[in-house]
Amino acid sequence: MKFFRNKKLLVLLVLFAVVIVCSLLMSYDKKVDFNTEVKPIINKKCISCHGGVKKQGGFSLLFHEEAIAATKSGKPAIIPGDPDGSELIKRLLSKDPEERMPYKHEALNEDEIDIFKRWIKQGAKWGDHWAYLPVKEVEIPDVSGDWAKNDIDKFILEKLDEQELKPSAEADRPTLLRRASLDLIGMAPPKKLAEQYLTAKDGDKAYQILVDSLMASQRFGEKWASMWLDVARYADTKGYEADVGRNIWQYRDWVIRAFNKDMPYNEFVTEQIAGDFFTDPTDAQYIATAFQRNTMTNDEGGTNNEEFRVAAVLDRVNTTWEGLLSTTFACVQCHSHPYDPFKHDEFYKFMAYFNNTRDEDISSEYPLLRQYDDSLQTKLTSLTEWLKVNVSPEKSKEIHKFLKTGQPVINSVIADSMVNAIIGNNNIALFFKNNAVARIPAVNLNKVDQLIYRYSSGKPGGSMQLRLDKPGGPVIASWKVPEGPGYRNLAVDFKAQTGVHDVYLTYTNPTATNRDEVIVYFDWFRFSPQFPGKGKPGYEENKATFWTLLNANVQTIPIMVENPSDRSRKTFVFKRGAWITPGAEVHAGVPKSLAYAMPANAPQNRQGLAMWLTDKRNPLLSRTMANRLWEQLFGTGIVETLEDMGTQGMNPTHKELLDHLSWQLMNDYKWSMKRLIKEMVMSATYRQDSKVTEDTKKKDLFNKYYARGSRMRLTSEQIRDQHLSVSGILSAKMYGPGVMPWQPNGIWNSPYNGATWNNATGEDQFRRAIYTYWKRSSPYPSMIAFDGAQRVVCSPRRIRTNTPLQALVTLNDSAYIDMAKYFALRMKKEGGKEIKSQIAKGYEWMMYKPISGAKLKVLDNLYLTALNDYKVHPDKAKQILGGQQTDKYPETAALVVVANAMLNLDEAVTKN
Amino acid sequence: MTRDELNAHRLVKEAQETELRAFTRRHFLKESAMGLGAVAMGALLGSCGLGGKTNNDILYDPVHPLLPKAPPFLGKAKSVIYLHMAGAPSQLELFDYKPELMKMDGQDCPQSLLAGKKFAFITGVPKMLGPQAKFAQHGQSRAWVSDNLPHFSTMVDDVSFLKAVSTDQFNHAPAQLLIHTGSPRLGRPSMGSWATYGLGTENQNLPGFVVLTSGGSFPDAGKSIWGSGFLPSVYQGVQCRSEGDPVLFIKDPHGMSRDLRKASIDAINASNEQEYAAYNDPEILSRISQYEMAYRMQISAPEVMNINDEPEYIHEMYGTQPGKSCFANNVLLARKLVEKGVRYVQLFDWGWDAHGDGPNNSLNIGLKNKCRSIDKPITALLLDLKQRGLLEETLVVWGGEFGRTPMMENRNGVQNPYNGRDHHTDAFTIWMAGGGIKKGFTHGETDEIGYSGVSGKVDAFDIQATILNQLGFDHEKFTYPFQGRPFRLTDVAGKVIHDVIA
Repeated sequence: MKFFRNKKLLVLLVLFAVVIVCSLLMSYDKKVDFNTEVKPIINKKCISCHGGVKKQGGFSLLFHEEAIAATKSGKPAIIPGDPDGSELIKRLLSKDPEERMPYKHEALNEDEIDIFKRWIKQGAKWGDHWAYLPVKEVEIPDVSGDWAKNDIDKFILEKLDEQELKPSAEADRPTLLRRASLDLIGMAPPKKLAEQYLTAKDGDKAYQILVDSLMASQRFGEKWASMWLDVARYADTKGYEADVGRNIWQYRDWVIRAFNKDMPYNEFVTEQIAGDFFTDPTDAQYIATAFQRNTMTNDEGGTNNEEFRVAAVLDRVNTTWEGLLSTTFACVQCHSHPYDPFKHDEFYKFMAYFNNTRDEDISSEYPLLRQYDDSLQTKLTSLTEWLKVNVSPEKSKEIHKFLKTGQPVINSVIADSMVNAIIGNNNIALFFKNNAVARIPAVNLNKVDQLIYRYSSGKPGGSMQLRLDKPGGPVIASWKVPEGPGYRNLAVDFKAQTGVHDVYLTYTNPTATNRDEVIVYFDWFRFSPQFPGKGKPGYEENKATFWTLLNANVQTIPIMVENPSDRSRKTFVFKRGAWITPGAEVHAGVPKSLAYAMPANAPQNRQGLAMWLTDKRNPLLSRTMANRLWEQLFGTGIVETLEDMGTQGMNPTHKELLDHLSWQLMNDYKWSMKRLIKEMVMSATYRQDSKVTEDTKKKDLFNKYYARGSRMRLTSEQIRDQHLSVSGILSAKMYGPGVMPWQPNGIWNSPYNGATWNNATGEDQFRRAIYTYWKRSSPYPSMIAFDGAQRVVCSPRRIRTNTPLQALVTLNDSAYIDMAKYFALRMKKEGGKEIKSQIAKGYEWMMYKPISGAKLKVLDNLYLTALNDYKVHPDKAKQILGGQQTDKYPETAALVVVANAMLNLDEAVTKN
Repeated sequence: MTRDELNAHRLVKEAQETELRAFTRRHFLKESAMGLGAVAMGALLGSCGLGGKTNNDILYDPVHPLLPKAPPFLGKAKSVIYLHMAGAPSQLELFDYKPELMKMDGQDCPQSLLAGKKFAFITGVPKMLGPQAKFAQHGQSRAWVSDNLPHFSTMVDDVSFLKAVSTDQFNHAPAQLLIHTGSPRLGRPSMGSWATYGLGTENQNLPGFVVLTSGGSFPDAGKSIWGSGFLPSVYQGVQCRSEGDPVLFIKDPHGMSRDLRKASIDAINASNEQEYAAYNDPEILSRISQYEMAYRMQISAPEVMNINDEPEYIHEMYGTQPGKSCFANNVLLARKLVEKGVRYVQLFDWGWDAHGDGPNNSLNIGLKNKCRSIDKPITALLLDLKQRGLLEETLVVWGGEFGRTPMMENRNGVQNPYNGRDHHTDAFTIWMAGGGIKKGFTHGETDEIGYSGVSGKVDAFDIQATILNQLGFDHEKFTYPFQGRPFRLTDVAGKVIHDVIA
């Protein structure tokens, strides 16, 4: 017995050895793929010591040239073609714990070492990560059967076949109607449209009509703007401690309009990155650049404006990469990217694109776009016409730019060398007391013969001098300072100057009673030539128009405006990422590994950056958007990590499909997002039933292969909008400043900030979620509960959670009780006489299909329970109806309870 | 077994169980077709060149994000009560006794203390200001406590004082953010969010991270100070309020009785069970359990937030004022919450900013009143936790966001009307008790006028590292991937203050 067993063992051993030898022999020839086999091991086991952060022993595995270069020992660690001669392999196999790599970590297993050996044997070839290679046209898989409705389905089906999964049947019409409506317009469809679709004979054709109609609706933009506002970290406040309000809602409206008119994505990006670079930008193009002004502004006392200006610029860099290019670039602020092909100085080269704008973290948030009403706009047009005829194009352009953007000016807070003057009120403005002196450093006075400045003076009798080079320097202008309430603009003329000078402003006022008394406040200074065209016909009249326009109190919004060339900033590498330790100077440029997408004629500024971003060779822009649109509809991106397509992001589930969609977006659809969305929504993949079968539960619980329709909880916006729309109270009003729907008292309670939440009245109580006023430090609580993004920085992806606090919102929040009340009243009015028919009708408004008998019974029982309760407690009935007059209190109140339950049903808060 | 041994035994057992649970879940995720959760975390747990240092043990389970989880190592503390005196109390009138400063009282501040320094309000040359309180040594540990805290002075043998804490932020909001989120800017998760992310919470009927405020205003940094930053929003602090609903939306709507609420949740769940039968989606089951939990929370939260049923001696001990919003009530609530298994309770008491610009902001009036309002409650908290055997597993931390200057504040060069001190970053006192912290110990020392630390200097990151350590985390390995790199509470700093660990 014993012998026999041993013999058996022996046979087994021999067999085992044969298998190993065979497999080794076979595997030695097997081609190694760098990206899928070698790079993951490097990232996991090697790169923390041999990469972008540390280069132990002078060896790095981040770039090919580094990997095969000589290390500290003088010899390369990898000799292509010679695994046995490569130090890397020796070190992996070494028995000496001081030698063996990974140092002080678990050794690589045999498979991993084998991969390295074969890879070196085969020449240690580097592979570029797929996402950094240009998108190519992909061959559509050849699949059989008639399930596929478009190309998307062929890609999906190919993978399903591999997984031995079968697609689900098409969902029923009510489900599809609701799904498409929530996805395309974020709320219930118009009644007529719904009826047309549900009753049409040809379902397929009707579906297409439905989709087209929904996409043509103004509601489409309101739905899809949410996605982008998260990326753009749009909010109605400035952030940081004070977190006071900011007027930037026109940007939100711009995004809605852009989606509605299907602005091609390349234009959408170009206008937001470089709208101010267009010749004669339109207001809309300027407003688009507010994308970059959604950064935070720090109004707090004692803070350094430059520190927070830099913080805003860094945020622009990170948002561009993470939001538009699915690349985590923030790493590179402090050191080379540990995994992806981006070097430390490349962060700052990229930053240089954004580092030359006029915004300086000042409280007024200059530069602001000045928007003139019709009558002023007529004046501006006629002034522009006059300038065109009478002065040089440059001068004409200068005047126009000044009137539109208020730039270029010098903000008063940059003044220094002050005597009897301070930068006061938490860094808001330059203040003068009696006998004040302040310097404005390095002003270009070439051909300048005028100072225009904005100020406020509380006292008459002051006089000011403009001096050159030192406090007692030559006076080039001297004038009386008119007093008056509020800020006003004043022009002071002087003889034309030459050269760059430090300019000193001096001020005296004999009527000052107290040496500590602050008398004059300054906002900005502009040194420029006087209004041009002197002597030309109409000069005085047009000069007057100029002043009317300049002094007009107009609607504004923060925008991007480039520094004039004589005040441009230099950009430096920040050592270890800290702005106070500048290193070498750098110039604007994109990372070398992606520079191939830079058009030859691109200028080295934001306009050029936009050209690079939207160049069809740019591998990331279209992939990122195609992936984002897919995630919106299917719940998970093809690359799940929307923020990272790099080597540390998740692998795409359907890489070829992603490339196909990206290619389509750029080429077939000429960057039309609507057309790509339509392609997705028309696919059979999208239209599948979302029931989970035992087979798919077992094989694909998380629906990664799409053998069924996606089923997910609605977003915070969809919940509010849908509930308002089925309750029949949703306001159709579009655009305008953020509104303050009901929220409990005491949510806003911030010190040093007088802002209050004033509950909206009238239809503003029932506006779509997207119009809700968004305070960064205290966002609308019920939307945050449903995973709304706080929007402090770019939020490329919302993570869905499921918590009891969400249930409490839709169960108890007065705003939702209000919706239940109106829902009940609507059911009562339009749902027939019987309570059951009312409930059934209400359910149909939510789900477009009849309620099941069992569910109706559950809800009807709830009604009866509530009715009994309210008959005993009629006072409670009045309470839940909140002042609503009705002839039947207990009955109506009981229906409110049912309506509240209906709005909490799983199917009500889920997209099936 | 002694009580301590019993506790230790229970902790080990619980840790094993939760570990097992975590393993099962992990296993499930891995084995299930895609392992979405596991894969997501796995892929995201990459790092900025710190590959080996990420904490692979934390698994974010979106369906049950708050279930209790085992920490990487057995921590001494199960929960934390952090008492933050917003506005920054003066160490020189409470714990840091400086007789030498008394001798300098009224003299001009030496230039050596002013050179290169930036203060929030002091300009020119201020006068030195001696301690505005009488000090005595207390207990066996002979710790100095002023007569501002007569009750607390009896507890010094249960406490470890950190006398040389410093910060680099001299404005309230950034300094508060730094202490609680590890960054002076908005957007990072707060300590309580990290704790609940890493450990979940013991009581699923209550929020895991509760915030209570008193003193008439929120802390200067607003809600961000208990925000979840880049962690999933489920981990943000839930503010329990003494006015209005104790938790937002926890009360039944006006006119809906509790029975009716129960009936309606039953109806919702009955309908959802039918939905599950039709769709077979596990998410529906999860929704059913969330609604059940919401209902239980509706019962538990007001119950635990109601202090009326506490015995009279407890009210007397804490000095509560039932029906009002005050610090004493909040401290009692903190004890009740921790007792019920809440992981992290954060208190903010506003009004400690004793500049001397008014009577309520003065060292001789305002500060004394504030001290009176906290003296009994903090003493009672330690005693009460001790009596209940909870102090050993509850870490209590008391402190402000920075200290106060040994100089009297002179705003815009003019002496303030009352005795007051400006914000001071170089030295202040924080104390810790329970949760495995040494008893009757003092760590660190300041110079003879309490201006700067001379030994045992610690900062916000060290305190965070120590708190995480007591909860069972290595602060360097406890990370979350965001913007392409692993973020930790302590950023790139922090050392555990081993000297104060028992």
